[in-house]
Amino acid sequence: MIEFLAAAIRIATPLALAALGGILSERAGVFAVGLEGMMLAGAFAAAIGAWATSEPIAGLLLAPLGGGVIGLAVAIVAVRFRADNMVTGLAVNVLALGLTSYLMRILASGGRPVSMRLPLLTALPIPALSDLPVIGPLLFAQPPLTYLTALGCLLMTLFLNRTQAGLTLRATGENPEAVFASGGHPARVRMLAVIACGAVAGLGGAVLTLQQVGTFTDGMTGGRGYMALAALIVGRWTPWGAAAACLVFGAAEAFELRLQSFGVPVSSYVVQMAPYLIALTVLAGLGQSSKLPAAIGQPLPSTR
Amino acid sequence: MSMMLDMRGIVRRFGHVVANDAIDLDVAAGEIVGLLGENGSGKSTLMKVLFGMLPPDAGTISFRGQPLTGHTPAAAMAAGIAMIHQHFMLVDAMTVAENVMLGWRDAGRLLRRKEMADRIRDVSRRFGLDLDPDARVAALSLGRRQRVEILKAILRNAELLVLDEPTSNLASAEVAELLTVLRRLRQEGKGIIFISHKLPEVLEICDKVVVLRAGRVTGRTSVAGASQGMLAEMMIGRDVTAPRPPMVASSPGPARLSVKDFLAPGLARLSFEIRRGEIFGVAGVDGNGQIELVEALAGLRPAGSGAITIDGHDVTRASVAARLTRGLAYMPADRGTTALVKTMSVAENLMLRDSGRPPYGHGLLLTRGPANAKARALMADYDIRARDPSFIAGRLSGGNQQKIVVARELDRRPAVLIAHQAAWGLDPGATHFVLDRMLALREAGAAILYVSSELEEVLAISDRIAVMARGGFAGIVPRGEVDPRQLGIWMAGRAA
Amino acid sequence: MSDAAPAADQTARLQTRRLRLRRDGLGSRIGVALLLSLLCAAALIALAGHNPLEAFLAIVQGAVGSQHQIGASLNRTTPYLLSGAGVALCFRAGIINIGAEGQIAVGGAGAAAAALALAGAPSLVAIPLALVGGALAGSLWAGLAAAIHLGRGVHEVLVTLLLNFIALLLVQQLLAGPLGQPGAGFLQSSLMPRSAWLSHLAGFDVHAGILIAVVAAAALSFVLWWTRFGFALRVSGSSRLAAAYAGFSLARLTWGAMLTAGALAGLAGGIEVLGMHRRLIEGFSLGFGFKAVTVALLGAMEPLAVVPAALFVGLLESGSLAMQRQIGVPTALITVIEGLTMLFVLAATAARR
Repeated sequence: MIEFLAAAIRIATPLALAALGGILSERAGVFAVGLEGMMLAGAFAAAIGAWATSEPIAGLLLAPLGGGVIGLAVAIVAVRFRADNMVTGLAVNVLALGLTSYLMRILASGGRPVSMRLPLLTALPIPALSDLPVIGPLLFAQPPLTYLTALGCLLMTLFLNRTQAGLTLRATGENPEAVFASGGHPARVRMLAVIACGAVAGLGGAVLTLQQVGTFTDGMTGGRGYMALAALIVGRWTPWGAAAACLVFGAAEAFELRLQSFGVPVSSYVVQMAPYLIALTVLAGLGQSSKLPAAIGQPLPSTR
Repeated sequence: MSMMLDMRGIVRRFGHVVANDAIDLDVAAGEIVGLLGENGSGKSTLMKVLFGMLPPDAGTISFRGQPLTGHTPAAAMAAGIAMIHQHFMLVDAMTVAENVMLGWRDAGRLLRRKEMADRIRDVSRRFGLDLDPDARVAALSLGRRQRVEILKAILRNAELLVLDEPTSNLASAEVAELLTVLRRLRQEGKGIIFISHKLPEVLEICDKVVVLRAGRVTGRTSVAGASQGMLAEMMIGRDVTAPRPPMVASSPGPARLSVKDFLAPGLARLSFEIRRGEIFGVAGVDGNGQIELVEALAGLRPAGSGAITIDGHDVTRASVAARLTRGLAYMPADRGTTALVKTMSVAENLMLRDSGRPPYGHGLLLTRGPANAKARALMADYDIRARDPSFIAGRLSGGNQQKIVVARELDRRPAVLIAHQAAWGLDPGATHFVLDRMLALREAGAAILYVSSELEEVLAISDRIAVMARGGFAGIVPRGEVDPRQLGIWMAGRAA
Repeated sequence: MSDAAPAADQTARLQTRRLRLRRDGLGSRIGVALLLSLLCAAALIALAGHNPLEAFLAIVQGAVGSQHQIGASLNRTTPYLLSGAGVALCFRAGIINIGAEGQIAVGGAGAAAAALALAGAPSLVAIPLALVGGALAGSLWAGLAAAIHLGRGVHEVLVTLLLNFIALLLVQQLLAGPLGQPGAGFLQSSLMPRSAWLSHLAGFDVHAGILIAVVAAAALSFVLWWTRFGFALRVSGSSRLAAAYAGFSLARLTWGAMLTAGALAGLAGGIEVLGMHRRLIEGFSLGFGFKAVTVALLGAMEPLAVVPAALFVGLLESGSLAMQRQIGVPTALITVIEGLTMLFVLAATAARR
């Protein structure tokens, strides 16, 4: 059971970080379809940093940069040029996929990707707490980015609800007109939010390279960005809600892994569908009641 | 008494149109000044000049002894002028407190939620606003939302409040509450400009009234001793009842459009008939149910109860397409995204609602050759000035765009036409053209519902005139019996 | 009307056709976007220490250097063209269908199942029926997306995305079960019966799929510009309010566009199975969904203009292997070019609005 929950947390961590980033973008009014590309770029930047210096910390520092660059591309095309948010997100996903695999290959000659064996971020047990039965090893003996995810949920909640900047960001996603009338700059808010989204989602990608896999492979995010997107909608654009949704998706996947290891006679492909089916079912169940930020996806008037 | 606001000789032109022609306006501290006038009389231009959204061509503004020139809206706000728009600048999904804190320096970078809530409760109590800081704006009535805007203005130290049509969306109980709040503000020494059409409220709350017509001040009076009739006359003038295109007396036939006990959201129970060869004009201030009425008739909004019939056929729940086949034509007020597809060609816009019928289409297919020929013919008939039928509609002038709509809707030889703000924003030539076409259609025996907030237009072409207020008809008169005072009073929302 | 009018209308019609792409300089805007992305690609090639011109030349030679290579390029173009034209139709109607990948996968499975079931039937029966099977399966998958979107109000991007993942797993499941080749060791079906193979065109290594694709794109262009349905789609894509005012049913339009796009994507899947791989294999549609979006954008959402757009992407990809082999520039560069092209086209065409 503990193993199962640990697996669920492990799978949920990168999703939850990406979803946190996505919340910034969507609550400012820009659809976060580009999460997949942001995660991938973050995973790549983290791998490069850790590989070049043999220091996972360097990777940790580079990851937000990688994701942020993709965020910048979305900000320019979708906010500045007012292009369709959704399609822009897809475009940067393709770009990130191509760019990371291209760069991986030109780092080594001969057209094969450079092979990396990265030092992983190790678990940091919290003294005393980690000795608690069951929840100790489960919750308090985690690697740093997992703690960061939990901390991120807390900080994001405070940011959105308790700061002027968070208030302005939410208002920009709901009614940019009102932000403008109160002396704000909706376009600037949206651009910054999308770039920050990229940085945070980049950290989500770094979880994969620095904390779980230990190398970078082409398209290694494998749709996690889209799952994060589904999670933040299911979680109603709140940090804790999105994290909970990620845990559910993580549990579904962990369950599937368990089934396989027990040799239960259920086809693994059908079981692998579970997270996607769950996401689709929940979204369909929420239906129109899942209220989007009112001005999401709507370009700002060109004068603002 | 020294003046808080002193506007002198304000002139503002748009091309050849003089929107403000040497207007003087002053407001003292603790004074409520009513600004009265029809749509297009120059009120909003004057307020935009005051708020720094438009520079004046001539004239001076001084506010609390300081000159205001070349100022921005932000500077106007900083000086202590607050504008409360008809459309509230609020975030519906947030609480009252959050709306107040948005963009306000005093709220702090880390929001001082508790302190702000206390201040909101304080001010709310002092001015009788009755607002709960934790209430979500979406759950508030329009009257309360307006008070949130007033609250924001007060907390930001506004000395002069401009309220643009503040009562147009309010229920009568809410109007009374608003007036109480305004009296409280007056006591506290705030200056208020109260922009309205509604004479009883103006008489009730204002200290003095300035009336604008066609960009000029046509009346300036203290409220003491003024009457509704007098104000209505200043606002509307006397000459408007004379029809501009001389109208042949109508010989109305049987009813073509009939509406019985009709109810829908935003509408009071309505019953009326429009007969063959009759233009039924609907006047009234925007936002009193006009859009609800015309869209329900056109089939774009679901009907509540009651019945709509065209030539005796029930269309109450018929689709848009079915109403079209019954001969219902509709010219929406929203030209930009409903009546026209601006990215499409003139020819495609001419066939927007008729693509299944010759000459535009046959069965599933479009017949482009005949459609283009038809488009050319219509362009000639209706004087649509475009290079050719493939010209993009959005690049034409407003007048030419509206002519496309007129051509499309009239060429069908409709039994019933619903025209909403059909001449809105058009120059006099194009307006004349549109009104002429309506009269020609009337000669041809159609029933026409002509809805406009421009009273003069309605008076110029209607056989009967109804005034819409609060979702219903405040009164209906034949053209021969129009009394401008009476119309003004009806527009103000009181039944006769 | 005078006698000159029909002639004038004839020219007007031709002008309209040309205007569609020239309108607001759309064509040149897309040209500039394309040029910019190629410039960026050149910079990336230089970054890798290679000569961009040599690399581009290698792509061209690899794509059209021989009859065989031309054939391979056209074969690559085929699925992009079919699915891209369908996506373009949806985009025109304002529906962001990014489910081509799943629809292609399910379509391929449908065609394979039909072809295997029709073993022994003559080609003239087997091929059309198998392709129809593919189109139906693709339509069904797109229809499922439309049903969830319209019925439950979930955004079509999310629905089609999630259904892509489910479709890929579904095909894997089919290959692990009823459609799989026993004992193959891979997730693949048995070889299609010979009678169901798409024949090669005389003298070229190209199967008949490209002809089907071009005809389909032309047909779609006809639908878009010459039928009432196409007109309604274009109106609703420009303004939903105007479409309602014109009396068009938005739900019906969404169904129509999605089912058509699904059928075309399914057809593309069927052609891949019958013409390229001759069996159903795992993940054969990977990445096709995004290519469909790329070519739809590059083709300005005009089905006929998707032909050169798909050809461009097909040639690039087909030539990229030669570039990697001869010059040493990784083929992943092509994906970069595709992503950049989408971004630049988006920025260039949206800026005008």
